[in-house]
Order: sequence, then structure tokens, then C-alpha cells
Amino acid sequence: MERQIINKKKRVFSVEPNKIPPSEVFTRKYTSLLVPALKKLNMNKNSSQVNQLTVKHEVDMALALSAQEFAWSRFLLQKLSSSNNPTTTTSSSSNGIRIQERSGKEGGHEDGEREEKLRELQKLLPGGEEMNVEEMLGEIGNYIKCLELQTIALKSIVQDTT
Amino acid sequence: MDLTGLKWLQQQQMVSPEFLQIVGSDGREELRRVESYLGNNIYDTIDGCISRTSSFQMEPEKNNEENRTVALLNKRKPEGKTETRDQKKKKIKAEDETESSMKGKSNMSNTETSSETQKQDYIHVRARRGEATDRHSLAERARREKISKKMKCLQDIVPGCNKVTGKAGMLDEIINYVQSLQQQVEFLSMKLSFLNPELEFHINELSMMPDLRSFPLHQQGSLDYSVISSNQTTSPGAKIESSSSWDIHSQCVYNNLRTDSVSNFFSLK
Repeated sequence: MERQIINKKKRVFSVEPNKIPPSEVFTRKYTSLLVPALKKLNMNKNSSQVNQLTVKHEVDMALALSAQEFAWSRFLLQKLSSSNNPTTTTSSSSNGIRIQERSGKEGGHEDGEREEKLRELQKLLPGGEEMNVEEMLGEIGNYIKCLELQTIALKSIVQDTT
Repeated sequence: MDLTGLKWLQQQQMVSPEFLQIVGSDGREELRRVESYLGNNIYDTIDGCISRTSSFQMEPEKNNEENRTVALLNKRKPEGKTETRDQKKKKIKAEDETESSMKGKSNMSNTETSSETQKQDYIHVRARRGEATDRHSLAERARREKISKKMKCLQDIVPGCNKVTGKAGMLDEIINYVQSLQQQVEFLSMKLSFLNPELEFHINELSMMPDLRSFPLHQQGSLDYSVISSNQTTSPGAKIESSSSWDIHSQCVYNNLRTDSVSNFFSLK
């Protein structure tokens, strides 16, 4: 085991550190956050069983902390930190900026359908209800990418322990 | 167009007198330049269109003066003037405020990009023939074009969006995809919660020190190098389609993470 470690350390100097694509940065950050958190959970809750909610909490927390350059991560952090307190506030759905399009070339109900779908999308994204449409569409792209990376990281962690 | 045209403009209170003076005093060259600039804009302003198109980059020496007049032109919006001209193909460009767009509109060969001196705040909108050219619908159109641009980006990210046409269908796909990803995460975290004791077991196998509470949550310290070293084989922009290579990669990440924790503890001794 020690030799393995030393061998891995020897491989350090062959690569330039400037060429890391952002998806790898994310995965690295994510796993580095999640695994110690899980270990900590295990240590602290030796007697009681590890709750599923707490694991979900750690998972979400790791996601939010490893993607801090995006707006939705801030909202996610807010949600997580507020859900730690016993007084949890229900998310306000009517608070968001309404999506309204004035008379355009398209028909009336086509617009309505689209509005509904956009509103649904807003609900899925953390903090989506407080953004306007353009911003939200941009953020959704980032969110999807991070979710994908998160599932990959989780899969590999689960695979490793089985 | 000559000075009479400019004077007419002045009467319409579009041009300030000092502008005329500048033009008049500096000779024909100025006039030609202004003419080419105004030639685009007169029709715009007359139509009651938004005068947002008139932001324009001039030569750097005259920059301050002429930009001031440009600003003047922009401010004087002829609200009441709905003199509709029969338009041939007159297009107003719909673009973002980028420097390249400024360059593209220039008729002059020797304009420099003095855009670092002035940042234009105007949105250029293209009105096609027969469409409403009043301010609101132009803004609407600009907004819609931005949104459709973003939808196109999303199309690349979400798999399976290419087959569906139309915004509603694409939005459906996107919603389904996000929901399925979130469900996957939930399922995996549930699995993880069941497996957590085994995780502990694995770590003990590595003969690590049991005092993990000293391990801070945000530790990233020694990860940098060993992770990079294992990434040489995988392609950088791997998307979800090539998930197999990503699986390998992330496994490497995880393995390195574990062994690095071990090395940390050895060094702490």
C-alpha cells in the first residue's frame, strides 16, 4: 500500500496543471467534499442508523459547494441552510417573476402552454422562480451539466463500496 | 444628401445646431462621413423606429464630439412621427452590444476600434419587412431571439432534443431530463445511505487513523496532482454519451481520493 502511494506521488510532475477542464474540476471538488462528509456522518452517528435524509442533505450540500460559480448553487445553499433549522418556510411559488409575453406572432394558447412549461422548469431549478426567463434558461444548462456529473460521481462511489 | 437635408433634420429637432456647425466648418470629408452615417439613420428616425441603431463608432480623433451628437440623435425620439415610408429592404440589425457588430456597421475603412473608450448601451434589433417597428415589439423581438438562442444551446446539452421541433416539445424534453436526473440522484443517495456502513468498512481496510473528525469538510489539499495524473487518458470534453470513460475517470478520482487520505495521515504522523 505504501509503495502504491509513493508510485502515485511520482506521477505527479508529468502533467501541466493549467489544462484542467471545468467538468473535471467539478467532479474532483464534488468527490472531495462528499466522501469526507460521509465519513464524518458515519463517525458521528455510530449508534443510530444513518438517515437517508441526512445523506441527501450531504449530497446536495456537496453539489452546491462544488458549483459555486453558478447562481442556482447559492439558492440551493440557502435552502439547505434554512432546512437545517426546525422552522422551515415553504417555498413561495407565487413570488416569482411572471412570464408574460405580449402579443406576438404566435397564437394565444401556444404561448400559454409555453409559459406553463417554463414555469415548471423554474420550479425544478433551485432558485429558478426568482430569475427571469433568459437567466433561467442559461442557468438550467449549467445545472443539467452539474447534475450529470453528480450522478456519475455518485455512481462511482456506490460502485466502489459494493 | 447635402446640407439641406441636415437642415431639415434640424428643423425636425433631431440635430442640434452645433452639430451643423461641426459639419459645416470641417469640410466635405466630414460631410461625407456624416452622410453615410445619417443615411442609415434618417429613415430609421423618420419611421418612428427606435433610434437605437444609431450608435456607431467614428474615428478616434472626432470621437468625443461625434459621439456626443450621436447621443443627441439617440435621445431625440420622434414619437409623433409616424410618417410611413414605403420601405424597400431596409434592415436594422439585431445583435448584442459587441464590438464586432460595431465594426460591421461601419462604412468607413479606417475606423479603429475605439470601443474601449465608449461602451454602447443600445440594443440593435432587426426588423424585417412588414413587421411592426415600434419600440415595444422590437424589444419583444430582441428578447425572444435571446431566448431562442439559449434554447438552441440547451438543445446541445440535453440528449434527444434534436428530434423534437418547436419550443414546447423541447421544453418538455428538458423538463423530463431534469426530472430524471434529479430522480437518479435521489436513488443513488438512497443507495449510498444503505451502503454507508460499508464505506466505513472500506476505509478501515486501508488502515487509516480513526480520528476523522479532524478532517475538515472542505479539504482539497492533496487532490490536485494525483487526480490530474490519472486524467491523461480520458478526453477532456467528455459528455454524457461517453459515460463509460467518465466512469473510469471518476473511479480513478475516487481511488486517488482514498489513497490520498491515507497518505495525508501518514504524513501527519
